[in-house]
Amino acid sequence: MTKMLNFDLTADWENLDHIRSKVEHFLKQNHFGLNDIYSIVMVCSELVENAIKYGDYNSPQSKISINIELNDSGIITEVKNPMLENNNRHVRQLDKTIQWIRGFQNPFEAYREKLKEVAEKDYIVDESGLGLARIAYEGESILDFYLEDKNMINVTAVYQITKDK
Amino acid sequence: MENKTYTDGYLSIEISKTASNIVVNLTGKSTSRNPGIFLAPILQQVITESDYGTREIVLDFRELTYMNSSTITPIIKFLNKAKIGNERVSLLYLKTLKWQELSFSALSIFKTKDDRIMIKGI
Repeated sequence: MTKMLNFDLTADWENLDHIRSKVEHFLKQNHFGLNDIYSIVMVCSELVENAIKYGDYNSPQSKISINIELNDSGIITEVKNPMLENNNRHVRQLDKTIQWIRGFQNPFEAYREKLKEVAEKDYIVDESGLGLARIAYEGESILDFYLEDKNMINVTAVYQITKDK
Repeated sequence: MENKTYTDGYLSIEISKTASNIVVNLTGKSTSRNPGIFLAPILQQVITESDYGTREIVLDFRELTYMNSSTITPIIKFLNKAKIGNERVSLLYLKTLKWQELSFSALSIFKTKDDRIMIKGI
């Protein structure tokens, strides 16, 4: 059986706490344990933070769309937002980071490498890629993305539910 | 540095100092877009006050309920700096909280063989 939570919001940093509360409430209503709840709240929050940082919200109608789908095998978190037309740099960087994470035997190794990298280098604020590595490792989720018409980008994180959690 | 509390949004940092250690207790949630602006100067001051390892620095995260990935950056830069220097650091977290266990145990890459830098799940 599938259940969904979906809502839109403006790209304001102050909305993040509301998002976390909303997702937490939805998962509690569906009887998830604290560990699953924390993971998904974190995953959703990190994806929305990226959407705020890298999206294009020049039009007053521009919003971020969040969709959380519960099904028998997992929890799919999708965050969709408008991008600047031809923002190839961001898309390339996103693709590069996701492929880099996938190149490791497990997400823990990717996360540790990213920690070392960030500790030793000076990153431009907002560009370390640590959030994506954290989603993969601590959030135990598989990342992907696709581009839609009208300069929309959709980033997904799939979290598998297992008994041990 | 006198005993002091610093606050930024939902995050509080309480610092208490004795002759042998400086305890940095983080409580609440760290959710700012650039938490380094708040955290980095405090952590730098703590390094200065530790007096080249005379005082042990204890970073206590057990009462932190949430942090975004941007918060991790100033923490690991601090740990990396301490690892290269002379400072003694113990980072404490709750190992019974899964997110803290996952998040902080990964920081064991900053541990030193002589336990000058320790990452401790309690």
